[in-house]
Amino acid sequence: MTPAALLETASLMGLFALAGGGYGGLYSIGRLWTRPGLIQAGGACWIAAFVIALTIAVRTPLDVGWKLLILASALVYAVIPPVTWRYLERLHDQQESNQ
Amino acid sequence: MYRSQKLSLRYYTAAIALFGVMNLFGLLSALYYLYPSLLFNVFNFNMSKIMHIDTLVIWLLMGFLGAVYWYLPKELGREVEGMWLAELVFWVFCAAVAVVAVVFLFVQYGGANQFSLWFINQGRKYVEAPRWAALGIVVVMLVFAYNVVATCIKARRMTGIMWVLVLDLIPLLAVYLDAFPATTNMSVDLYWWWWLVHMWVESTWEVLIGCVMALVLMDVVGTSRRIVEAWLYIEVMLVLGAGILGLGHHYFWIGTPQYWLSVGGFFSALEPLPLLGMVVHAIYDAGSHGMKTNNQPAFYWITAEAFGNFIGAGIWGFMMTLPQINLFSHGTQWTVSHGHFAFYGAYVCGVIAVLYVAKQQVSGVDVLTGRAWKWGFGLLNFGMIGMVMALLMAGMAQAFFERAIGGSTLMAFTSASENPWFKSGMYARMFFGVVFVSGYVVLVYDLLTAPKRVPAAQAQPVAA
Repeated sequence: MTPAALLETASLMGLFALAGGGYGGLYSIGRLWTRPGLIQAGGACWIAAFVIALTIAVRTPLDVGWKLLILASALVYAVIPPVTWRYLERLHDQQESNQ
Repeated sequence: MYRSQKLSLRYYTAAIALFGVMNLFGLLSALYYLYPSLLFNVFNFNMSKIMHIDTLVIWLLMGFLGAVYWYLPKELGREVEGMWLAELVFWVFCAAVAVVAVVFLFVQYGGANQFSLWFINQGRKYVEAPRWAALGIVVVMLVFAYNVVATCIKARRMTGIMWVLVLDLIPLLAVYLDAFPATTNMSVDLYWWWWLVHMWVESTWEVLIGCVMALVLMDVVGTSRRIVEAWLYIEVMLVLGAGILGLGHHYFWIGTPQYWLSVGGFFSALEPLPLLGMVVHAIYDAGSHGMKTNNQPAFYWITAEAFGNFIGAGIWGFMMTLPQINLFSHGTQWTVSHGHFAFYGAYVCGVIAVLYVAKQQVSGVDVLTGRAWKWGFGLLNFGMIGMVMALLMAGMAQAFFERAIGGSTLMAFTSASENPWFKSGMYARMFFGVVFVSGYVVLVYDLLTAPKRVPAAQAQPVAA
């Protein structure tokens, strides 16, 4: 790994996780306040995360196993916020119906 | 107020005082990077760093103990069993911390013999306290475990949170026994030492703060028990699932077998995933109650905890967790940046939230709000973010110039330490360190000041 590739790869990985976090945050706030615009912005963050993952796969000197792991993570990121949200809603609904 | 809650207030007082000591030695440690010959041979950098990190561990531990002693009687509906022992141990704990601090300040080090090991410094990073004091911590944890378990038995009542807490006491006690080195082989010693550092601080503490946060959520936001417990189980499962073998990222360069590169890298890369779920959960919980709370500062600090944990542990950790990156980044200011952010996000924010919960009950107000806490919140967060960005810049410069270009030689270390990117990062860290400390001063002021009383008729939960 060259010195420049080191910083580029690490920065891309940080941006990847940040974009994933941005997706989770914006998606949740969008659902909370029923703002489709925010949910779409969250979706844009996920697309950014996926593009960054692809960039990592194409441009960086990481081993192929790590590249596959990061691509797979990008796909998992896509489902975490909606699945978590749905689970929380169901949990709260059950709670309310019990009361 | 229960007797154990009075003890809890003493723990909080000791914790906040040690938080201040940690800040002082943090500033001093930052100064050494600007003036390397500062206090040379009088009080060297290594001792300042020991004071900074060891007080961090102790004040957080005291904060956790305080939080559990605070909530235990509320949770189980009775006074904590064995209070006289808990009170005695508190004073012994404080006295032991004071004695160790005096030894670190004035004796500092000794010869390579058993006396030094037992009475001056064990010589193991982050657990430098001499062996007698390490044994003292075991006694404190044993008494704490006795208090918790005996109270559960006497109360004949167990909640889901209490089950998680009681089960967490086992690793909390067992893993700390790693603090006593028994081998002279450096690789073997480090192998087990990382169990102590990673498993104790990064796993069992995560579960402990998870239990505390579950109790705080019920208290501050009014989340139902069933919901916090269900989520606590999931969080514990996910954090431990990725966290236990995530330990492997510490095993990359200490002489362990090569497979740790794959195991450590794989599980560490999974660690941001549960943290992302926690961010979603925090937003849902905040919103499901219309952002209404009866304790505004605690609410904000809980929210900061969820985001800080994701950014500090998740993003900062992910950046450098794969072996090919870590080869260059480990041991630089980059790691320091991650350590500061992760500890702050995962634990410091949570403990401050608990302090505000206690303040509300002690001052007897129905709704806790005000202005000073916002300054403390802003300055502490701004100071921490500034520090970690400055450290990240300095660390990246080190990884680039010293490690990747210079090949990690002594000459490369020296020239990288003079590099403008590194030096400006160190100056910026100092500046933001002062901002952080000013936030600490405001926090203490706010905690000690009586809140404004709102007439009972107007005491409605406020929008966060």
